[in-house]
Amino acid sequence: MKNSENGASDNRMNFLGWKVDIYIGIWVILLLLTLGEVILAFLPFPKMALASGLIAMAVYKAALVGWYYMHLRYEPRNLWILAICPLPLAFILVLAVMTEFGWLVG
Amino acid sequence: MSSDISMGDSHSEDHHDLGFIRTYIFSTDHKMIAKQFLVTSLLFLALGGMLAAMIRWQLGFPGQPLPFNLGAILPDTMAPGGIILPEFYNSLVTMHATFMVFFALMPLMAGVFGNLLIPLQIGADDMAFPRINMLSFWITPVAGAIMLASFFVEGGAAGAGWTSYAPLSTSGEWTGVYLGQILWLVSLIVLGFSSITGALNYVTTVIAMRAPGMTWFRVPLATWSLFITAWLLLLAIPILTGGLILLLLDQTIGTAFFRPEGSGEPLMWQHIFWFFGHPEVYILILPAMGFVSEVIANRSRKPVFGYHSMVVAIVAIAFLGWIVWGHHMFQSGMNPFLGMSFMATTVVIAVPSAIKTFNWIGTLWKGDIHFDTPLLHAVSFVALFVIGGLSGIFLASAPVDIYLHDTYFIVAHLHYVLVGGSLFGIFAGITFWYPKMFGRMMNETLGKLHWGVSFIAYNLAFFPMHNLGVQGMMRRIYDPNQYEFLQSLQSTNTFISKSVFVFVSVQVLFAINFFWSMRKGKKAGDNPWDSNGLEWACPSPPPHGNFAEIPIVHRGPYEYSYPGREQDFWPQNEAPVESFGASTKPEHEHGE
Amino acid sequence: MSDAVTASIDRTPEPGMGVFNKKLGMWVFLLSEVMFFTSLIGSYIILRYAHPDHFAAPGELLNVNLTAANTFLLICSSVSMVKAFAAIQQGDLKGLQRWLLATILMGTAFVSVQAYEYIMLAHEGFLPALADYTAHAGGPLYGATFYVMTGFHGAHVSLGVLALIFVYIRALRGEYTVADHEGVEVIGLYWHFVDLVWIILFTIVYLI
Repeated sequence: MKNSENGASDNRMNFLGWKVDIYIGIWVILLLLTLGEVILAFLPFPKMALASGLIAMAVYKAALVGWYYMHLRYEPRNLWILAICPLPLAFILVLAVMTEFGWLVG
Repeated sequence: MSSDISMGDSHSEDHHDLGFIRTYIFSTDHKMIAKQFLVTSLLFLALGGMLAAMIRWQLGFPGQPLPFNLGAILPDTMAPGGIILPEFYNSLVTMHATFMVFFALMPLMAGVFGNLLIPLQIGADDMAFPRINMLSFWITPVAGAIMLASFFVEGGAAGAGWTSYAPLSTSGEWTGVYLGQILWLVSLIVLGFSSITGALNYVTTVIAMRAPGMTWFRVPLATWSLFITAWLLLLAIPILTGGLILLLLDQTIGTAFFRPEGSGEPLMWQHIFWFFGHPEVYILILPAMGFVSEVIANRSRKPVFGYHSMVVAIVAIAFLGWIVWGHHMFQSGMNPFLGMSFMATTVVIAVPSAIKTFNWIGTLWKGDIHFDTPLLHAVSFVALFVIGGLSGIFLASAPVDIYLHDTYFIVAHLHYVLVGGSLFGIFAGITFWYPKMFGRMMNETLGKLHWGVSFIAYNLAFFPMHNLGVQGMMRRIYDPNQYEFLQSLQSTNTFISKSVFVFVSVQVLFAINFFWSMRKGKKAGDNPWDSNGLEWACPSPPPHGNFAEIPIVHRGPYEYSYPGREQDFWPQNEAPVESFGASTKPEHEHGE
Repeated sequence: MSDAVTASIDRTPEPGMGVFNKKLGMWVFLLSEVMFFTSLIGSYIILRYAHPDHFAAPGELLNVNLTAANTFLLICSSVSMVKAFAAIQQGDLKGLQRWLLATILMGTAFVSVQAYEYIMLAHEGFLPALADYTAHAGGPLYGATFYVMTGFHGAHVSLGVLALIFVYIRALRGEYTVADHEGVEVIGLYWHFVDLVWIILFTIVYLI
């Protein structure tokens, strides 16, 4: 029976020269990014730039969870294409309605 | 049993007696679930029709007590002395649409035909998740009961339109409805789960359980349209659910998502609602288009003209359907830039529908047409959908819509696509697949009579509404005669009402045909229509597990009148002549 | 066709997505969940854009540090979840049980911390309803959007914990093996999704 193979033999990653369990490696990256976000949020950068940067970091973390923990990395390509298909819809709704309140087109 | 990609053994031989409850009440068999949905949908369709008749009574015979002493059964809060109150009229228009859209059409399209056709047409033994399927059904009567209950609470049923715009819906101050509005929201939130669970079942089943040889471009158009509809349900309903929850919070705990007095944004409700609402209307029409394609091809004994473009058109409609929602809001005060974008996209979405229309005509062209009831309904669909589409193109233009919005022109348009389109498409589907469901044919004479009177009465009722709208009659209005410029339209309104009464009444013929044929109809064999689909390659009705063994597909579903063949049809699973082993290699098919 | 030939015919279904049914079903379900959270988060973004005066700067009202720690906890629970799955992939039933239990405990802790946070915020007048909002910064839209987004997320986490308990009980009964552990993978997908949504929510709600 075909089951998802997460490449059990491929379960390690290179981390500054050490070989670690990939899940632990990703965990460390997620941690560092979270800490980074919290620190960044209170620095005196312009609001728009800050918001974009933080959201980009959050999206990257989410992608890491999806790619490694949800095993999209090992699944057929069609599955991650399927997984991201609602995202454009989300953007369309929010961005379109924001124009109602003056975003881009006053 | 552990589910994997294989479909497991068919259990047509080893079906043990499950008892009455497991067979008819808590069944996991997709065919029984389809029948259950059919029962609830037709009941709600009838209720929706009753509500429509009452609306038309008020418009056709304003201020007159309801006939046949019906006023006696209605409480004084609704119709004292049998005369419909304005507040009750608001509930009537709201609940007519609500029951029709959510409890009749949607369950008919997805619940009945999705369940009936998908496993059979793709050669599967059942849905991917039969128990979730059962859950999906049982949520519907629960939600329906909540919605029905709203009629009986103080203040009556919801009265803010099926679109429930804020701030009219956030407070009972103007409609007089308090608890009824809350129950309306709760009911639809609950119903959403039925749609979502059903949709995920359909999507998974079509992706994962197609019989060997049934490549994507050998899938029949009914299944294609149900599959794409399931995607729309999956992605659109949760948006509605979120919006309904926010509105419910506004009404119950006093948040201000949409309430201007708390800096809420009523326009945001409209956007959230219609972002769901537009894909919703494609949910209501795409399956009907699929049924019509099947029926027209079969009854013309010809392949569907442009099968590949039909599939592409279905997908294009689904894609484009996400970016046109603002055309329901041209008059809302929305940003004109946004309005312009929506006008452009709305005009574009007419193109794939037009492609489909030309393809239906192309399918009929020079065909050996059998004019029986399913075909009559299917061809009516095409004609009436074209009319609805044409009025739609008028409305797509924002400047025109500014004049016609919220008039009876809209009422005409929406009923042409939803009744002329969806309902006639459903009739085509029911009359065509009835023998598969019940093992007997429906009566042709009754069928044709029902069709003929329905078609005429329907058009007499709804075509004049285009004119009413252009003359300025607004929708959802209790008493148009309060405006002097509308008083001359009363005779038209009365005529329309009488036509509607005829239309509603003649549905009794359909009901009689439906029930009579179940017992007394001519016994149907496996394949009474000489059709190609896999659903006709098993008994009528099919046993548990559907097929004795999983069929193997050798060709597309529309190999009718293949040149050189004696028979004018060629079932998908019929083995190729010169083979000594089953081969799933595609043979030369029409259009390839 | 002879019986021998018929019997030897391969009747495997057409390759679909190439994953087993329950996994495909869960992914498809998660897509609908994405749309659900889109409506909630989307309405927040829209209302914030339209009425920035209702909202406060990061940390002004909400406890960023506590929630950052809570976020860390949820991420850890995602790790324990994937370790549980990795364990049963190797046939390690004991490992599956231990890591599942860890996930359940961390998930429960996450919800508890949130509940505690809600109580603290309520005491400060940070509430969803228009009439009740008396916090020293921001306005009622802040309260309403905050509780709706985090509340529904918390509800999803709670349901996830319940499902995990169910899976844990089955694991204790030894019902998962190397060959058959679909249920673990499927609940894992749900759990990671809940974590993923929180990663986005935490940033949007607490840090911006």
